[in-house]
Amino acid sequence: MAATITIDSDDKKGGELYEFIARRSVEDLALGGSVQNVHILIKTSIPLFIMKIKYREAVGKNMLGELSTITEGENGSKVTLESEIDQGDALKTLWSTFGRDKVEQAGRMDILVSGVKPKELEDIKIRDKAVDVSVKINELAVRVIPEGLRIRNIKKEEGCMTFVAAEDPIKEEWKELASGLEVGD
Amino acid sequence: MLKYLIFEGGLYKHERLEEFLQDVGGFVVQKVVLSLDLIINLAIPEEEVKRLEALSAELKGKLKEAPLIGTEVAVVAPTLSRHHLPHPSCDVAENLRRHGAKTNIIGLARGVGQKIVHRSEQERELIEEHDLAVFTLGNFEHCLREAKPPLFKDLSIPVVVTGGPDCGSLPGAQGYVGGIGRYPERARTGDMIDRLNAVSELSGRVIEDRRRELDLDPLTIDPIIVKEEVERQIPESVEALSPNPVTLKFDGVRIKLPYQEFHGKVEGVTVEGLRLGDVAMVKRSLMRDYIVVKVLPKSRFE
Repeated sequence: MAATITIDSDDKKGGELYEFIARRSVEDLALGGSVQNVHILIKTSIPLFIMKIKYREAVGKNMLGELSTITEGENGSKVTLESEIDQGDALKTLWSTFGRDKVEQAGRMDILVSGVKPKELEDIKIRDKAVDVSVKINELAVRVIPEGLRIRNIKKEEGCMTFVAAEDPIKEEWKELASGLEVGD
Repeated sequence: MLKYLIFEGGLYKHERLEEFLQDVGGFVVQKVVLSLDLIINLAIPEEEVKRLEALSAELKGKLKEAPLIGTEVAVVAPTLSRHHLPHPSCDVAENLRRHGAKTNIIGLARGVGQKIVHRSEQERELIEEHDLAVFTLGNFEHCLREAKPPLFKDLSIPVVVTGGPDCGSLPGAQGYVGGIGRYPERARTGDMIDRLNAVSELSGRVIEDRRRELDLDPLTIDPIIVKEEVERQIPESVEALSPNPVTLKFDGVRIKLPYQEFHGKVEGVTVEGLRLGDVAMVKRSLMRDYIVVKVLPKSRFE
């Protein structure tokens, strides 16, 4: 499901443009399946930019059975990944295990593996080191936040990261404002 | 007065066009051959345009007006980071080139923010080596109006600004085009292309106004003649590997040869019986180590 992006900006047009930038950046970083909600608060007169991102944690998961739903089809199995972020590693591993002719990418999240039962796929490890989504979330924020706002405060919670960016030292009231922002369920 | 046009057609019989230009006192500013296609940026006396149109129709080519021919435009981004490059700046620069300009992209060191925004003296000099500056700025109107004018308001060349909001005009800029702020992908939609065309058309109008002003105090020698003579008398200038090695500018030329080695030769070029060093300033460019020739107006010698 596509991420929900909401903007609260004192500059309406600028806010709309930043929503577009955020949406494109989520797509570019292949975070479509990981990012659930993004809320951006912009106060151009201060200037202040707060970005709160709610995402699905994927730390520690690197087995295909944990990362996807695997269903049995007529000629083999269909792997439906939970996050687009795993697509590259999953394809690479499946190609090297079963060969290119048996593995086919059927969509952004789907892979078809012919002649293989779901049981055989569940325990396949697609990478040695687990991906930490928060690293990519951090990259997303760096791409979206205006470059001039170089003073940053980052707060990381379970499945949620909050970025406060400004040109002046970050004030406590801005941090409180950021904490109080609703980013949706 | 010279009229600047782009001819797009085939290679077949194009020599007729070049001969015609020579006969009527016109000039080839730039010639690009792409397989069997040909694009010529040219300048021709205004009264000969009708005859050129007839010849162009005969050669099955297309002619379009391009006042930006013979101008070097600086496309200035607030920084060199991925926030502002490549998309908006490169799109604007490409569109300007399609309209005949020679463009250089400049990224400022600290052109971002509202309080830290800053432009150094060296950056100002580098931008002023050009004939026109197009600043590609961001998306917030408050920031554009309140914080960005110091980047361009004291420049001695005309300035066109692009930004996200449609805010009409900006203090210190000759023109403003909205809808081209910070964006993270290539401009592909018809609406975006129209806006890019609007930047080039506005830049063309600004340059035409400047040319009209220049007619009131004309240059000692037309820069286009300087270009031809430099190319003829200094063969190394044509052989330089840089694109457009002798770039025609509004009031001179940029020669893409090392200053130390060649400035003496450039000063010694004879144009219409005058030594170039006597009627023009030959100085070292801040861009690499190129040579910038700025022809002086006639009024300087009266």
